Amino acid sequence: MLGYIGRRVLATIPVMAVVGLFVFSLLYLAPGDPAAIIAGDQATPEDIERIRASLGLDRPFLVRFGEWAWRILHGDLGISIFTNLPVSTLIGQRVEPTVSLMLVTLVFAIVVAVPLGVLAAWKAGSLIDRLVMGLAVTGFSVPVFVVGYILAYVFALQLGWLPVQGYTPIAQGLWPWLANLILPSVTLGLVYIALIARVTRATMLDVLNQDYVRTARAKGLAQRHVLFVHALKNAAVPIVTVIGIGIALLVGGAVVTETVFAIPGLGRLTVDAILRRDYPVIQGVVLLFSFTYVAVNLAIDLLYTVLDPRIRY
Amino acid sequence: MSATVVPQLDAAPSVAAPLPDVIPPRKARGPVWRFVRRYPTVVAGVIILTVIFLAALLAPSLWTVDPTALAPAKRTRVPSAQFWFGTDMLGRDIYSRVIYGARVSLLVGFAVAILASIGGLAIGLVSGMVRWLDGIVMRVVDGMMSIPPILLAIALMALTRGSVQNVIVAITIAEIPRVARLVRGVVLSLREQPYVEAAVTTGTRMPAIIWRHILPNTMAPMTVQATYICASAMITEAILSFIGAGVPPSVPSWGNIMAEGRALWQVKFFIILFPAIALSLTVLAVNLVGDGLRDALDPRMAKDI
Amino acid sequence: MDRRTFLKTTAALGAAGVASPRLAAPALAQGAKVLRFVPQANLANFDPIWGTQYVVRNAGALVWDMLYGVDSTLTPQRQMVESEEVTDNGLTWTFRLRDGLRFHDGEPVRAADVVPSLTRWMARDPIGGMIKAIQDELTAVDDRTFRWRLKKPFPKLLYALGKTNAPVAFIMPERIAKTDPFTQISEYVGSGPMRFRRDEWVPGARAAFETFKDYKPREEPSSWLAGGKRMLVDRVEWVIMPDTATASAALQNGEVDWWENPIADLVPLLRKNPNVVVDIADPLGNIGSFRMNHLYPPFDNPKIRQAVLVGMNQEDYMRALVGDDDSLWKPLPGFFTPGTALYSEAGGAMIGKGDIKTAQRLLKEAGYKGEKVVCIVAQDQPITKAEGDITADLLKQIGFEVDFVATDWGTTGTRRASKAPPSQGGWNMFHTWHTGADCINPAGYPAVRANGDKAWFGWPNLPAVEAGIAEWFDAADPAAEKAAIDKTNAAACEGAVYAPTGFFLGYQAWRKNVKGIVKGPLNFTWGVSKA
Repeated sequence: MLGYIGRRVLATIPVMAVVGLFVFSLLYLAPGDPAAIIAGDQATPEDIERIRASLGLDRPFLVRFGEWAWRILHGDLGISIFTNLPVSTLIGQRVEPTVSLMLVTLVFAIVVAVPLGVLAAWKAGSLIDRLVMGLAVTGFSVPVFVVGYILAYVFALQLGWLPVQGYTPIAQGLWPWLANLILPSVTLGLVYIALIARVTRATMLDVLNQDYVRTARAKGLAQRHVLFVHALKNAAVPIVTVIGIGIALLVGGAVVTETVFAIPGLGRLTVDAILRRDYPVIQGVVLLFSFTYVAVNLAIDLLYTVLDPRIRY
Repeated sequence: MSATVVPQLDAAPSVAAPLPDVIPPRKARGPVWRFVRRYPTVVAGVIILTVIFLAALLAPSLWTVDPTALAPAKRTRVPSAQFWFGTDMLGRDIYSRVIYGARVSLLVGFAVAILASIGGLAIGLVSGMVRWLDGIVMRVVDGMMSIPPILLAIALMALTRGSVQNVIVAITIAEIPRVARLVRGVVLSLREQPYVEAAVTTGTRMPAIIWRHILPNTMAPMTVQATYICASAMITEAILSFIGAGVPPSVPSWGNIMAEGRALWQVKFFIILFPAIALSLTVLAVNLVGDGLRDALDPRMAKDI
Repeated sequence: MDRRTFLKTTAALGAAGVASPRLAAPALAQGAKVLRFVPQANLANFDPIWGTQYVVRNAGALVWDMLYGVDSTLTPQRQMVESEEVTDNGLTWTFRLRDGLRFHDGEPVRAADVVPSLTRWMARDPIGGMIKAIQDELTAVDDRTFRWRLKKPFPKLLYALGKTNAPVAFIMPERIAKTDPFTQISEYVGSGPMRFRRDEWVPGARAAFETFKDYKPREEPSSWLAGGKRMLVDRVEWVIMPDTATASAALQNGEVDWWENPIADLVPLLRKNPNVVVDIADPLGNIGSFRMNHLYPPFDNPKIRQAVLVGMNQEDYMRALVGDDDSLWKPLPGFFTPGTALYSEAGGAMIGKGDIKTAQRLLKEAGYKGEKVVCIVAQDQPITKAEGDITADLLKQIGFEVDFVATDWGTTGTRRASKAPPSQGGWNMFHTWHTGADCINPAGYPAVRANGDKAWFGWPNLPAVEAGIAEWFDAADPAAEKAAIDKTNAAACEGAVYAPTGFFLGYQAWRKNVKGIVKGPLNFTWGVSKA
């Protein structure tokens, strides 16, 4: 098993290398001469040439990629073209809101979606099942910003229950922090709920149809016990997998949700950066999110060994 | 994802045809009616899609005006007999913009679905059939898949100017890895099948094997996947436009209409309401068709995002 | 250091999501008064000499103090200066600084700080450039005294030092002021009423200022940039909003206290809220503008520029900006602020009437060769976005090939400064606006200047305009001033220095518990209190 873990960890290296190559190519292919951008408005052609040489922009692609990767590995993400601040600083300033938003969404989505999926599977074919599945397909189809605006309109403007925008650091108290995150998390969570509920239902159906579960049911074990102990345990692997894969959805949704709710997180940073063509920032965000995705999915893979005793390596 | 898809393939044509004959001749009422009863959501999806397709196709003759014509003197009018869906901040007719916007959404959705399928098919086939390439190709695919698709599309859009073509290319590149993985999976499992192995050992040439054995069995899961890609591409386009990284503001796309209307959503909700409904309905319809296809083709196939 | 940050961020995101302390607000004293303000735009850079965007100036006015400041009658009043003397021939000015002025780092303000500050400012400010051209020397006499010797009298000197228009002559510590004028400063230390919390600055999200305890306000009551700048709150937080809808919701909900520029469409909604006050931001209003690049085809051809001015329909622009309320806008066949002494319509009869036919004819006669017009439009500013949409339509109707570049306001600020050809990172056209206070006369109004390379972005080179302006600077009485401005206006219309899209009033809105907000060209935060 240790061998498996080792192999699995090593396997993330080529994946991150590909991500790195892509992200690097982004700046390499970007229109506009970085030297000219750095030199500023008043630079002479000689200035630009000098900066180009000093940045090593005249050397071959692979050499530059190597150096770039070396810097990244040392935590140097470069300097934002637009604000002149290190990208790592900009990202550092905005990690907390995004992580908070994602964690709250994650918890909320799982708490809602898994029981819904189980319920739908248990009552497969019933009205409840259809409702849940209808909700799921709707969740996939309604754009996240529309959901956001509707929720903000009802709960923040009309009812005044919750703040409509912004972010309060958790250091200022749990409730203010949470209050700001509820609407965005529900907004962002809808797609995620749809996804998890569907997969939960599908895998639960599979498991419920398997012999040992039928036996358990036939033996007269309590329904709840069968559902949550036998079946859900065995359905855990696909569910956890999809939660990991769904991180990608969360990231995409966070970009929009943070814009709608004015949350100063990484999603907003991305949107601002793209409008300004601030490539180092775009690079940094893409790298960070991809790294997170890979890391989460690695962690989940490793969790399998715990969750599913049938998996042996 | 296994060879079990083979026997169900027969069920595909009736649904996979883009515009099935849902209003049948009187005599055929029996079986069609049964189909409608069995798959009401699929039928609903197909009908909605057909209507939207027709609207896009016939946009100029559906009582629309020039969707880009400005009339600042008649701005932000509420829906009325003259402006069915009202006018936006620059006095453009929202009804016309929504109808013409269907063209952009459908074009992006279907173009991405087709291009990503073709690209993913090619990569998946190569990866599945040429063993020494498999490792490299799959590492690249894994790498690309670890970048969240919307972020990947955003990053690609940062390289170019906003245009419908660029949006299509960006979303396609973001979606290809998923198809490639799917196709490769099918190919790998098919390779183990005795009849394929037999064909290989008897020296049947590779193209022939692909044509006869692999492609037919790949089609079903790929079609399902393609519908989901179509739906997600439409949403991605709207998101890109909404954050200002999509099609240029001059193009009436649903994402753009909403992007422009969002400043006024509290006072003139209708500006984003109509394109939001149109987009949601269209994506819903595509998803319903996709779910139906999936159930028809392989009840066991879990939805792959 | 970078590495640690990176590791910390990745660790936080990847694993546990431990809250990073960076965004944590500082521990505030119990009952500290915080004023939350939504500015018109993101504070993306913060060098008020290097960058001329209003948002940078407005933030700068909190942090840096000025030698003089104009009051609400646009008369310059002493601010940091205690007294000044001028010789009879008008050539030598001697200024004495007030006692007890301190920078935020505790150092006293000396004449040795003033000299490099003014030098850096003169390198970037058009009127400063005029002073520099006739300057003999500018020297510090002692710690509190400095002397300015000119080759020619410059009657508008004090106005130049106190004007609202960016770049404003802010005084910085010597070490910062010595930065090359074309390089951004990276240390934000001033002697103004508030200090900038650089550690809390999150570009694109927020900026924070806290009251500078050692600031010595003047005794006089405050009036715009003049008088005692007394801070009645402990902190000012600028909250940058991604869109107007979010800002409006936040104000209604009481999450922010003061919003600089609500769009007219949202005003009825805000008025319905009993806790919100809405008022005109500045009776001097604003002049909408788009500028053509006079250096490159097609707009190097005066006839083609003329075609644009003739084809432009100001009513379209104004309605797109302010909606249906006719009391909020006026057509503007000229370049100076309506309702002020020098307002002129001379030579403007053809401007802004939307005569597309004539425009098309002019374009044809001018021999337009189908060059693409690279039109830069900031999408994050309601004003520029609306203007840009109308312009795109206008250019299409006249028959131009348009390359519409949708971007943000910060990028516009950088790109418009580029003199490169439009195809290589330059531009043909961009949109902006000027506050009416800046457009009452040519002294504080770089946008109307037409002195080629030294002019504002677009670099118009129109000797007739410059002649008129020179005449105004030398004018002895109001009648002569008016005559000079008539000439300037006519020449500016003729040569299309830029395209005025109309005159309009903007709103501001605040919560009822906020008092002391005055109307003016910028958000004067001193004197504002919060219950």
